[in-house]
Amino acid sequence: MISCQDFITELGSLLDNDVAVEIREQLETHLAHCNTCQVLYDSTRKTLRIVTDSGSFEYAGPIEEPLVNKIMDRIRSGCELPPPPTSK
Amino acid sequence: MSFLPEPEEEADVATLAIFKKNLGFVPRIFRAQMARPGLVESQAKLIDTLLFAKGALTRIQKEFILLGVSGANNNSYFPVAHSKALEFLGVKAQQSEQVAIDHRQANLSEPDTALLDFARKLTLQPNGISIADVDQLRKADFTDEQILEAVLMTGLTNLLNSVQLGLGVEPDFKPRVTFPLKEVNPEIGSERPMLERPLAEESVSADPDAEFVARVKAGDTDAFEELVRRHGRRVYRSLIGLLGNAEEAEDALQDAFLKAFQHLPEFEGRARFSTWLVRIALNTGLQRLRGRKDFETLDDDSEEFRPRRIQAWQDNPEDLYSREELKRLVETEVMKLPSKYRVALMLRDLEELSTEEAANVLGLTIPGLKARVLRGRLMLRESMVVYFAKSGAGVNS
Repeated sequence: MISCQDFITELGSLLDNDVAVEIREQLETHLAHCNTCQVLYDSTRKTLRIVTDSGSFEYAGPIEEPLVNKIMDRIRSGCELPPPPTSK
Repeated sequence: MSFLPEPEEEADVATLAIFKKNLGFVPRIFRAQMARPGLVESQAKLIDTLLFAKGALTRIQKEFILLGVSGANNNSYFPVAHSKALEFLGVKAQQSEQVAIDHRQANLSEPDTALLDFARKLTLQPNGISIADVDQLRKADFTDEQILEAVLMTGLTNLLNSVQLGLGVEPDFKPRVTFPLKEVNPEIGSERPMLERPLAEESVSADPDAEFVARVKAGDTDAFEELVRRHGRRVYRSLIGLLGNAEEAEDALQDAFLKAFQHLPEFEGRARFSTWLVRIALNTGLQRLRGRKDFETLDDDSEEFRPRRIQAWQDNPEDLYSREELKRLVETEVMKLPSKYRVALMLRDLEELSTEEAANVLGLTIPGLKARVLRGRLMLRESMVVYFAKSGAGVNS
């Protein structure tokens, strides 16, 4: 019988459907008996669904004309890349 | 663990003893292939003849090739295993790791540096190898026999790297370090295999950008403008999620397109242009993140995270808020995550990179990447309990 900590360790693979059959069976057996892990699994699964379906971080509308122009101006002028920023 | 079952008993293949004798253990990569013991035996014989047996190159030189080539492939498995073996040969683990990360900073002799230059080039730019590269080795006093062994060792390492990735074999030991992301550098070209690795499901032959890419390569700079318009939003999304700041994301977006334009001659169409471009953008964003003074290190850690708020959620939590509210809520909470977890979660769950791709981009092992993604998801879940839990359900803390 696996522990709650074992379940949490495998939770990521379970959510990604990337877990061997025999381990999945053990996880499901654990879930059937452990209310805490049921809640954890259900709420993490829903978190993942909300994150992937939210459209977060999308740019509203087409890329703005001034930005396109800036990029193309830099390219046409043969602009060199700036050095990578470093912490001060 | 690996994708194929490993046998409990390993003693029935006598040749595995070769590894026990020379490495002190039987690496998982061979246990993972026991569905065809004969093939393991063939590999063991080749490894024994080429790597373990006395040859024209020294054992340490051959091990260095294995480390350097694996590092060029962003493969952590072999450096971990063979750093151990090299310790028995008197090479410190730090030097072995440095050979894998950047052999030119590993304090090697000039001939060994030339040897590793050759092996890495053969791995990263196989079509660029010419007689001039062989002459460089001759100038460094390598004999033809030694050059032949260098070529074979490079080929063997690439084979083993592919087998390990193809079978998903996890490291035999906990890595002391994971490999840092190497920045885009056309002289070394070390990112090309990763940047141009196609997504599993994508069809490169039908790349909708192929026509514009070809026009830009032929000297039509204006054609690049169409590529900027087509992919600007997607690249911006990758960058705002990493950097969390619109102004900085726009700066990075400009740099990413500029880099893509400058490196387009090296783009060989092995992945879709959009895949290649997003990887350049992610590298650009990560480079900026690493430059921040408040940036938490991307180095691995092992502390446990224990969820505290165990409270049942609504059946359809999405229905509680409008789409716009949900979007903003997710953005706010994702940006509160420590960057090492946020970046891993972004790549997997918003950019939808595979585990292997995300691990490659971040220079992590697959288990290391998985651990970070899970941590990010659990931390995000914890922060969202307040919005989505059923009222009246108990909270454990």
